[in-house]
Amino acid sequence: MSQANTGCAVEVAAEEPRARESLWSKALYKFMHDRMGMWSLAVVALYGIIALGVWAGLWGQGWSANDGPMWAPPSSEYWLGTNIIGQDIFQRAIFSTKTAFEVGLVVAVLSTILGGLLGALSGFFSNRWADELILWLMGVLDSIPFYLFVAAIAFALSGFPYAMHVAMVLTFWTATARLVRGEVIKLKNFEFVEAARAIGVPQFTIIFRHILPNTFHILLVQATIVFVGAIKSEVILSFLGLGVKNGVSWGLMIAESTQEVQAGHFSNFITASAFLFVLVMAFNMFSDALQDALDPKKVQ
Amino acid sequence: MIPITVFQALRKALVLAVLPLSLLGCGAGVDVEKALEGHLNGPPKIYRHSLAGAPASLDPLNSATMYANTIMTNVYDTLYRYKYLARPYEITPNLATGMPEVSEDGLTYVFRIKPGVYFIDDPAFPDGKGRELTAADFVYSIQRHFDPNNRSQGSWLWAGRIIGLDDWGKQGADYNAEVEGLKALDRYTIQIKLKKPYPQLIHTFAQGFSAIVPREAVARYGREFAVHPVGSGPFRMLRYEPGTYALMVRNVKFRQEPIDLQAEGFDPKLHDGFGLEAIQGKAPPLVDVLKIDFIKQSAAQWASFTKGNEIQFTGVPVEQVEEVLASKQRPLKLKPEYAEKYRMSHAIEAGFVHTDFNMRDPAIGYNDDPEREKRNKQLRCAIRAAFDWEDRNQRFYSGIGVIFPGIIPPVVPEFDPNLSRESVTRDLDKARALMRAGGWTAENLPTLVYGGVASVTTRQMFEQFRGWMKAIGFPEEKVVFDSYATFGDFNKAVKQAKIMIVGMGWGLDYPDAQNTLQLFYGPYGSPGSNNSNYNNPEYNRLYEQAAVMQPSPERTRIYRKMNEIMIDDCVSNTGLSRDRIMMWHKNVISYADRQIVGGFHLRFVDVLQKEEN
Repeated sequence: MSQANTGCAVEVAAEEPRARESLWSKALYKFMHDRMGMWSLAVVALYGIIALGVWAGLWGQGWSANDGPMWAPPSSEYWLGTNIIGQDIFQRAIFSTKTAFEVGLVVAVLSTILGGLLGALSGFFSNRWADELILWLMGVLDSIPFYLFVAAIAFALSGFPYAMHVAMVLTFWTATARLVRGEVIKLKNFEFVEAARAIGVPQFTIIFRHILPNTFHILLVQATIVFVGAIKSEVILSFLGLGVKNGVSWGLMIAESTQEVQAGHFSNFITASAFLFVLVMAFNMFSDALQDALDPKKVQ
Repeated sequence: MIPITVFQALRKALVLAVLPLSLLGCGAGVDVEKALEGHLNGPPKIYRHSLAGAPASLDPLNSATMYANTIMTNVYDTLYRYKYLARPYEITPNLATGMPEVSEDGLTYVFRIKPGVYFIDDPAFPDGKGRELTAADFVYSIQRHFDPNNRSQGSWLWAGRIIGLDDWGKQGADYNAEVEGLKALDRYTIQIKLKKPYPQLIHTFAQGFSAIVPREAVARYGREFAVHPVGSGPFRMLRYEPGTYALMVRNVKFRQEPIDLQAEGFDPKLHDGFGLEAIQGKAPPLVDVLKIDFIKQSAAQWASFTKGNEIQFTGVPVEQVEEVLASKQRPLKLKPEYAEKYRMSHAIEAGFVHTDFNMRDPAIGYNDDPEREKRNKQLRCAIRAAFDWEDRNQRFYSGIGVIFPGIIPPVVPEFDPNLSRESVTRDLDKARALMRAGGWTAENLPTLVYGGVASVTTRQMFEQFRGWMKAIGFPEEKVVFDSYATFGDFNKAVKQAKIMIVGMGWGLDYPDAQNTLQLFYGPYGSPGSNNSNYNNPEYNRLYEQAAVMQPSPERTRIYRKMNEIMIDDCVSNTGLSRDRIMMWHKNVISYADRQIVGGFHLRFVDVLQKEEN
């Protein structure tokens, strides 16, 4: 018996962890075994640390000092040289990481929250007036060319330093909302939702406690996509003079470089482009790996 | 063999004849051939000029930019123009027969115009034949500015000065009604009566705003007149693509007046090496075709110029200055590889850049509390002492701009080369001492708001300014940039006195310091031209006293006194006149000017044909 019990116990012990495995733990396991995913996460984390260090005042604080020589070449004092007014290009690139993360985080968090809420409402009340209204709103926002929309918002909120953030959030949430809507339409017909309805759980509790948590894998992946999209848009908008008002960003550095390149000074252009390229590349790869890891069809 | 040789010769002749025209593009060559039919002796001479901006309208009513002015002075006639080569600039008769007869009291002017000057042929005239230009056309052209149906940008030149003219406009602008102060006494004589002396009047008649238009053309074309000029200038518009180019051909009816280089201010020491001697005795215009390309991007303009077969003139972009100059020491010289292909001239601009404080802002200007007002002045003087003009010149103006104290720039005869340079010399110790004397600390300093257009250069200028301010104790967050999407938006905010620190440039309308001194005359405060809203009773009194004086040592003394008052009050960080470098192809005979002479110089431009080269 004891042997049999022991044997049974061993068998049960071997099965137990599998029984506790959730989508999240399986995804984590899968992600951690994705070499490219881990490398890209490391790069993103490194940028994150740089941004945190700037935010905490540890480095990059001399981005605005203009006491250097004009267009100095790289040296031990100015690692990547200086721009026309003698500002340290390396310090500016480092500080711009904070700008990029700030914009990325604010836009990703807000547009994910907005997209998640409105997408869930739209999906749960599909084919009813609330759904029609939200779909109409999304259609209207999607039909406006992005940069025109940002320019209009910037003009309407004249002088408001976060006009760019507002415009991005108003634009980016729709993609998230469409995805969440589709998922919620699928989920609302599942038995656990019907069971909740049957025992009289209020509608909003069903949406926010039972359905929405099951869309978190979509929200997470979508947030990373929005994050990188916001960074790229910020660079383009700053290049066009519609972006960052106070501070510096890679977009502003590239805008500065348009005149410098003609005079044969490439440091601003190369530095800002390289910082942007590496982060966007890493974030895209991270996003892909995350998507693979969280895809319920692929999680075994 | 012979037939082949003949064939080759014919082909060569054809290529030579057609090639220059093909450079104009879009089949324009055919139009040129047709327009100059019977007036060409061989291939047409083509000169391709360029401007860094485009005119918004070709109606003299809207000749507010140098781009519009350049076109206006070539397709229309003005009573006066500026001598081609004389520096300082000198005014000279153009359509007028001579200088005006001015009454003793300086209130009545009589101008006589040349007889036998004809407008170009145009369907607006009976049988399409241009009629003779008369004094009545001049009167009509000035009256148009006061017609409430027209939105003139140039009426300010004469507003409140000519007897009866403002009232004529207010009473409905009846062109058959006589204006007491603006009359055609006969076919060739104009009389102007002023309310008070206006010594700069003659200069206003060398502006594009005063270009003479025929009433028939305005009536026929209506709004289209803004793109269909009908004038009597040295060129006539053949094709105009708004924002892209203006293609003009020689006005074959233009009066024949041989060039007298001495009279134009030729100085062998200054003008040697430009080949100008070759145009002596020729009658302008000297080229058959004048094409002006409007190219806003300096890189594109430079690329087109250096390509060799496109535009033949360019201003040198700041980023190319190091590349083309052998040395920045005066006189500036091109590197040999550029000197081989191009000619170059440079000139101190007729204007200057300055950064004003908005005196209506109680945080930095006038304040109800006399003590605070005194401290504000100390703060402004400290900021000025920290302002580094040398640094700005090096970084943004290639180090070749001319820094001068005050608001009387070097290009005008009233400039004082001996004036103390203290106000344009950076002195951080003095700035810090002023901050201490005013009791200014990082905690109680006001936030400086630096306004400007959202362009790279303006932002960099702001960041440079912020760096200077940090050096005297301003925390970074207390120096902020207020950016505007367009110059129009920025200017609107300036005119509403909303911006604390305003960086601006000013181009002189005429070479008289009155034109810059008025920028600080109290009654001209926002929305007028006085962006700083400076209002000093003594300065105002002197301005009013000098405004009615003819040029004289006494007037110069008053001008200089006003300049000193303005400097003492620390109203503006000023100033710097940019040195403009211009280049043109070596087969072009020219002495280009983008300042006061402006568009008038184009009639003197000649192009050497291949065999002359």
